[in-house]
Amino acid sequence: MKKSHIPKLDDFIGGGIPEGSSILFCAVPGVECEAFGYQILNGIIEDGHKGFIFTNVSEPNDIIYEFNQYGWNLEKYLEEEKAFFVDGSSNFIGLPPTGKYSINELSQIEGIVLKAIDDVSNGVGVINNLSTLIDYLEEDKIIEILDKWNKRAKANNTILVYIFTKWGYEQKLINTIKNSVDSIVSLTSIEERVIIGQGFMVTSASWTKPQNNMVLFFVLQPGGVKIYIPKILVTGPYNAGKSSFVKSISKRSVSVERMALEKFPTTIAMDIGHVDHNGFVADIFGTPGQERFDLMLDVLSKEAVGAFIIVDSSAPQTFARAKEMINKTHAKAIPKIIVANKQDMLGALSPEQIREAMKLDKNIPIIPTTITENIGVEKALDALLKLLYGDTK
Amino acid sequence: MIKTIESGIPGFDELTVSEITKGGIPEKSSTLIYGPPKTGKSIFCNQFTYHGLLNLEPCLYVTTDHGFKQVQNNMMEFQWFIQNYIQNQSLYIIDGISQLSGKKIEDTNNIKSSFVRNSSDMMVKIGIGTRFVYKKSNHFRSTLDSLNTLFAFNPQQMVIRVLNAYLRRITEAGGTSIVAYTEGIINPNTENMLKSLFDNTIKLDGQNIQIKSHFEEEEELINYKSTYKITNKGIVVKKE
Repeated sequence: MKKSHIPKLDDFIGGGIPEGSSILFCAVPGVECEAFGYQILNGIIEDGHKGFIFTNVSEPNDIIYEFNQYGWNLEKYLEEEKAFFVDGSSNFIGLPPTGKYSINELSQIEGIVLKAIDDVSNGVGVINNLSTLIDYLEEDKIIEILDKWNKRAKANNTILVYIFTKWGYEQKLINTIKNSVDSIVSLTSIEERVIIGQGFMVTSASWTKPQNNMVLFFVLQPGGVKIYIPKILVTGPYNAGKSSFVKSISKRSVSVERMALEKFPTTIAMDIGHVDHNGFVADIFGTPGQERFDLMLDVLSKEAVGAFIIVDSSAPQTFARAKEMINKTHAKAIPKIIVANKQDMLGALSPEQIREAMKLDKNIPIIPTTITENIGVEKALDALLKLLYGDTK
Repeated sequence: MIKTIESGIPGFDELTVSEITKGGIPEKSSTLIYGPPKTGKSIFCNQFTYHGLLNLEPCLYVTTDHGFKQVQNNMMEFQWFIQNYIQNQSLYIIDGISQLSGKKIEDTNNIKSSFVRNSSDMMVKIGIGTRFVYKKSNHFRSTLDSLNTLFAFNPQQMVIRVLNAYLRRITEAGGTSIVAYTEGIINPNTENMLKSLFDNTIKLDGQNIQIKSHFEEEEELINYKSTYKITNKGIVVKKE
């Protein structure tokens, strides 16, 4: 077993990647994927093993530069012969090849990579990029080559890491590719018109039953792949039930509040909670509802990836304020759920009436709830997770 | 009426007035500009970009034929100065070619270096760039000049896949995109497929301009024809 050196990933796959296994990083176009391969290679070499990078997308020199940006010294490993390149790029764009091996013709790829796998027994090979290979070679041929590489890697205890971007291929081809590797890590995006977050999730591992948690990450230079706990915003007008909502979805929560009119508590700074639901973890930030605390909204909403907008269904006069708060927290640009609270009150409007009154887009889910009774709360949480992660969960 | 944005090309908006549009380039649409070499495709793209910047519409500019310094110089010839827009970050540039010369450009907030052969990396930067300009304004423009270099360094099929992903990304964010391509460098079937990916096509042959606009919802296909000249102020279209 070797550590992947990707934070959290080892926990999900039973401690690491077994020697001789293949792992495919399968990315939605636009999601950073190369860094995963490079980070694994760097870590495994640091642990005292050998590695190679097959590239058909960048020049070896550009990759060395890229490693430098991450703060990893690939040049040193190259000098010490702990790492080498299989240069499948330079000859095709008229540059002098620089790797230990270089490829002049597409037909050589299969054999040369096999040689490279032999050279790094008990080490690691990174194939960047498998999707580019598909468009150069026949699809059937690709599957055949993958099988040969994976078999040879197994025999040599070499870990193979494939970088793959899921362009518009036939689903059948994607399935066949997925079936020919030991493990798949899906790299997906959280989108609201544009990409606002990136996440990874292990979808399969032949050696263990993986935890299918979704983890959000970004790629730092220097630093490489770093995970972060996403921030979810809870906002809405005064007395709509935000603090109760934060309390009811959180395992633990803190509220900065004081007694209003000496009768009931009102939030004056924020509520903070932490949710752990179906393998999804997030920090919850609840905003105050009163206008005099609006200066907090901008600060609290920074970097949030999703939002719950809590409204009092029985108080339509507060809906304009709710819309104003959506604007002030920039929640327009992130996935959001309208939590239609206080459904038990007399005169509470139905979700459709609220949609009408607030003039909300039909794509925004409105979930009827009675937070004090814990009715609809979990449904609201599930609805936001579905928006954030789509069908991957 | 279909909403349009100003093209920035004198005569173009007047030519493209119809019953359903007031002329210009349909907002949030995609346009392929094609024709033989040296017919003014890049000039058109740059004019479109610069006019957007003047109108406070930010722009995502993907350059693959020339490094961005060269693009900046080319634009200067027409008195289109983009330095201010680089500085105030309303122009986001992805340079897909300078890397090839071995010159390392340090990435800044809004100038990113990539490489035409590394489609995955290009797409990552397009994703980040789209977010960047979208945050500035959801009325933004997007220019890709041109597909030629992409086709020169990649299999045709691959470029079509990447282009699909690119157009989807821009459309989803509500941007208006223009893409340049030199006619005849790929096989005719792929070329037809390429044209079909766009809402509008503009053909330039050095003398004539032919515009085809497809309005899916209205089920309308409108053709416009005229002539044009390249002047020291850029392209000028004659109103028929």
